[in-house]
Amino acid sequence: MRRPRLLFVASICFTLTLSVCAHGTEHARIAVTPAQVSLEGKDSSMQLLVTGYDAEDNPTDLTHLAKYSFSSGNVSVSRSGVVRSRKDGDGTVTVQFDKLMVVIPVKTSHTHARLTLNFENDIIPILSRYRCNTSGCHGKAEGQNGFKLSVFGFDPMADYQAIAMEGRGRRVFPGSPQASLLLRKMSGGTPHGGGIPISPSRPEYRTIRDWIAQGLPVGSEEDATIVSLEMTPRQRIFKMGETQQLRAMATLSDGRQVDVTELTQFQTNSPNQAVVDALGHVTAGQSPGTAAVMATYMGQVDVLHVFVPRGEVIQSFPRSRQFNFIDDHVLNNLKKLNILPSGDCDDEQFLRRVYIDMIGTLPTAQEAREFLTSNESNKREQLIDQLLIRDEFSTYWALKWSDLLRVDRLALGHENAYLYYNWIRQGFQQNKPLDQFARELLVAEGPLRESPAGLFYKAVPATKRASTFSQVFLGVRIECAECHHHPYDRWGQKDYFGMQAFFAQLQYKPSKAGEVLLASGNPVTKHPRTGESVNAYALGTEMPNQAPEGDRRLVLAAWMTATENPWFARNVANRTWAHFLGRGIVEPVDDVRLTNPPTNPALLEALSNYFVEVEFDFRQLVKTILMSATYQRSPEVNPTNERDEQNYSRYLFKQLEAEVMLDAISQVTGRAEKFEGVPAGSRAIELWDSSVPNYFLKVFGRPVRATACECERVSEPTVSQVLHVLNSPAIQKKLNHQDGRIRAIATQFADNKKAIEEIYLTCFARYPDKKELVAAVGHLENSDDRQLALEDVVWSIMNSLEFLFNH
Amino acid sequence: MTQQRFCDGIRRRDMLRFGAAGAFGMGLTLPSLLEHEARLKASGVDTKDTSLIIVFLQGGLSTIDTWDMKPDAPSEFRGDFTPVSTNLPGIHISEHLPKLAKVHDKFSLVRSFGHANSNHGQADHFMLTGYPSGPGFNGGLKPNNQKPCVGAVIGKELGPRGGVPPYVCLPRMHNSAGSSYLGSAATPFVVGADPNAPDFKVPDLAPPVAVASRRLNDRRSLLKTINRYEQSAITQANQGARAMRTYQEKAFELMTSEATKAAFDIHSEPEVVREKYGRNMLGQSCLMARRLIEAGVRCAFVNHIDWDTHYNNFHVLKNELLPKLDAAMSSLLADLEDRGMLDSTMVLVTGEFGRTPRINKDAGRDHWGPSCAIALAGGGVQGGRVIGASNERAERPATTPFGPADLMATIYHGMGIEPEREFLTPEGRPVPIVPGTGRVISELF
Repeated sequence: MRRPRLLFVASICFTLTLSVCAHGTEHARIAVTPAQVSLEGKDSSMQLLVTGYDAEDNPTDLTHLAKYSFSSGNVSVSRSGVVRSRKDGDGTVTVQFDKLMVVIPVKTSHTHARLTLNFENDIIPILSRYRCNTSGCHGKAEGQNGFKLSVFGFDPMADYQAIAMEGRGRRVFPGSPQASLLLRKMSGGTPHGGGIPISPSRPEYRTIRDWIAQGLPVGSEEDATIVSLEMTPRQRIFKMGETQQLRAMATLSDGRQVDVTELTQFQTNSPNQAVVDALGHVTAGQSPGTAAVMATYMGQVDVLHVFVPRGEVIQSFPRSRQFNFIDDHVLNNLKKLNILPSGDCDDEQFLRRVYIDMIGTLPTAQEAREFLTSNESNKREQLIDQLLIRDEFSTYWALKWSDLLRVDRLALGHENAYLYYNWIRQGFQQNKPLDQFARELLVAEGPLRESPAGLFYKAVPATKRASTFSQVFLGVRIECAECHHHPYDRWGQKDYFGMQAFFAQLQYKPSKAGEVLLASGNPVTKHPRTGESVNAYALGTEMPNQAPEGDRRLVLAAWMTATENPWFARNVANRTWAHFLGRGIVEPVDDVRLTNPPTNPALLEALSNYFVEVEFDFRQLVKTILMSATYQRSPEVNPTNERDEQNYSRYLFKQLEAEVMLDAISQVTGRAEKFEGVPAGSRAIELWDSSVPNYFLKVFGRPVRATACECERVSEPTVSQVLHVLNSPAIQKKLNHQDGRIRAIATQFADNKKAIEEIYLTCFARYPDKKELVAAVGHLENSDDRQLALEDVVWSIMNSLEFLFNH
Repeated sequence: MTQQRFCDGIRRRDMLRFGAAGAFGMGLTLPSLLEHEARLKASGVDTKDTSLIIVFLQGGLSTIDTWDMKPDAPSEFRGDFTPVSTNLPGIHISEHLPKLAKVHDKFSLVRSFGHANSNHGQADHFMLTGYPSGPGFNGGLKPNNQKPCVGAVIGKELGPRGGVPPYVCLPRMHNSAGSSYLGSAATPFVVGADPNAPDFKVPDLAPPVAVASRRLNDRRSLLKTINRYEQSAITQANQGARAMRTYQEKAFELMTSEATKAAFDIHSEPEVVREKYGRNMLGQSCLMARRLIEAGVRCAFVNHIDWDTHYNNFHVLKNELLPKLDAAMSSLLADLEDRGMLDSTMVLVTGEFGRTPRINKDAGRDHWGPSCAIALAGGGVQGGRVIGASNERAERPATTPFGPADLMATIYHGMGIEPEREFLTPEGRPVPIVPGTGRVISELF
């Protein structure tokens, strides 16, 4: 099979290849980009990328292995392939690998012209690249040792002030630039707590020196600014352990394109698949999967999508069942990764799985019997349809959304919190399209008693409305941008306050009908740094010249729920997917960024389009996910997917959530948990108030609803949890209760086998196998007290992995 | 009541009380223990049987008001407190640590200490692992470790001693106390209750009274027969299931260990001793830490919150926090010495960072990583030394600076663990337990 070439070359570069007879060498040809280099100004540079291709056209990065030589003195070339201008002229750079050779023409100009430097465009990127302005150094709110820079350079004028003017200009001496404190500190001439980031031999040193010598120019308004950043390559299939040099090109407002690789900051989002060094050299890891290597330069970002297949190619990929479009996308991805999916789950697994995932509830013994004995060919679909209209479906999903929307009795008061919760729950009960649900919440107004969705703005502090809204409904975290440019995304302070301005009209007022939420007046939102007023505008859109008329939230709501909105549908689809499959296609689900891409973009796209197509019908989305072969996979592993937790090649174990597990224990023992302040018999998934005291829920990690983060649920099992299920007196009491299920079973089933069968169906939704039956019946027969022996069986079951996890 | 909110608005106690816990490590079998000792001997590291007590003052102890006072700095820096002489000539610490001033010969200070992080969460991770947090760090996760906590490394490397877990966190979990890639076997056992509570007991450590011990054995053997997933590759391939299985084994060990039961029984401690440590959460946690070390625990991690003094720093320190610290730490050192345990038990007292030298508008001090003195004693650390100095306003180290990586190297040196040791992550990436820059603060030994 021919491997697809995924090494994309920017359109400005022409590939020029000299095929040389290559007997016995691995590489049939090499290609160098760009095919010609034109450098303007002193110390301009260009990162060459050298790629070798074998006979089957598989690419290998040779940038660090090739030999470089140059014909004239107009440039120099480093061993890692960086061409740097020295003086004006024309020349060539020869790139050699084994017997293969490519010659690149290089033109240099303006190397002596005194191009006037620009503080923001030329100096700040250096301070950012060497991390001078991070929160650990001079970017800290108090500065470092009296010298303070704005964090990530978000406030260039303040930084200019600090460098050029503060302390009567003691940091810079235009008359003798090298003697400037700024340069001496950074290059080791004077002791510096932050070490020696830039040696005098570096071009960055010379740039700062020249800028000082030029008399510290701020730069001109007309100077070109950055428009975008583009990385080469942007996608790449790696063999495990393989490397790749990156190049980052900035496009400027005057149309020029310049290489900024040396001033770009690189980061990986998944070190198991790929790591990257400060100079943009990527090394793939030893685990198959995907990663994103992010490049940031002056608030612009781009990303390399890393794809690391398993080393061993699967020659014939067996036909796997494909139920719907989801499976096409998942299988395509698995094929590329050389990972085989596990087989289908059996009916027993499906039954328990789907009950827990959909309604947070175990099937009863009766329900299990009916399903397992049914011969209907579409019984799985029938079951899904039945569960979608169960009351527990709404209850369970209301619980999950109450976490995100922060139904909090302590913050809202008892009555309000209950109203708010009920509004959420009714939404799921009526299967309100989720765009409508979100819109109603977003634009809620009037008396809270009639419009409880308006309590959202009470549950969330006024200053956090924009960021909470974005995180919950768009899956985008913008809170960084409240104080400075988002370091890993394109959002700046203006974007943040543009969002915040949508909520600035909101006020709560007392009235005869109780508290009322109003959106009125035309308050001005100011950019905290520039003081300019910011009119309300949505993420990624242009700021209008005037504030929207009337209730501004209407504008936001229309934007959010428009079919072309890039976030809302994806976010809800991804969150829903993550719940059922155990991992988001974007993970964490509420951190969508260009630099944190989906592991399977086509799948996310398709899922999101589908959700729009069915007009945000939540139940339809759930059903489609559950009807896929991907959801219905077995948890069994095979040698190709035992390390894969990213690509849905098998069903991942999920520990039952705190509330679901407590309910499961109550259900199998037939003894409801007692909670303070709620009607007797209430289930844990019905608790609308997350502060109802309960030790079990505390130990198993019920969220406190203090933030909009999905991560509030405890992420790992703990010894305290294990000890609690083993030893809790409360659980023992349920097992042993006079009116509990175990006594009822003991009475109802005189036959030991039948009793054990009933217990297995109750707890596991399956029949015991022969070995299990022998062990359990043996235990009953050897015991003097049948009731106690049955308790022991149920206790053992409750402590097994099969019970504690969904699988 | 002191403030319990951290400056990010989240009640850390709320976050912590969910007490993520973990099992203790059985990482070393006997042959591998022997091999470990042989390797240490070959590398010249002393293999004495040492333990560690961490007293972590979460929120950030104001070291400019305690260990490293600057009486000559301008008033907006030096603060309200007066330095007093200690039993070391020429060395002064805060007037509100009178008991410690009398026993300064038992502990040492590193005053040229600091690091480049002043955020809760990130700084905690840095101080407790020696590694700065990387991309994707989420301080709110329980645990949030990208690298293993020092306690997890010690537990894993030295293994259990007797029937108690090697690594215990009390009274509750610290978010950065986790084991990261060392896996579930190296996570701390979390006590999960306040040792100062009159009815203190470790929750669920013993089966309910109704379940007699013979029945517990029956249940265990029955549990072994319900094993559809327990033994399979599925468990190996699912992190949560793998951890749960390990924890269950550890839980049974804990439940059946008499030593554990005895160690946790703080009520058996004489009343006069309990009073001396101070009848508060910090005091009784330190006392519990001593009992645990005595029983064989390798690392006892006392996490005490409330030190985030953005408001009324001086009032809170003087009336609430410093008296507690003074009593607890002085009693702990004296007690360890009386029992002949100080030589083999290292004690570290630190926050995640210090506090801003300049006093803020609320008579408080904010976060300050760049300069924060740390206190160490025992386990080979010589008492009565003051190493390095900060500048005239305690803004940064004025002499050779030490940081978290150096602290880790120093602890591992004291514990007889080679600082060059590397662990493999599950992906097979070797990661040294101390980042390359870390070096032992040899002046302490």
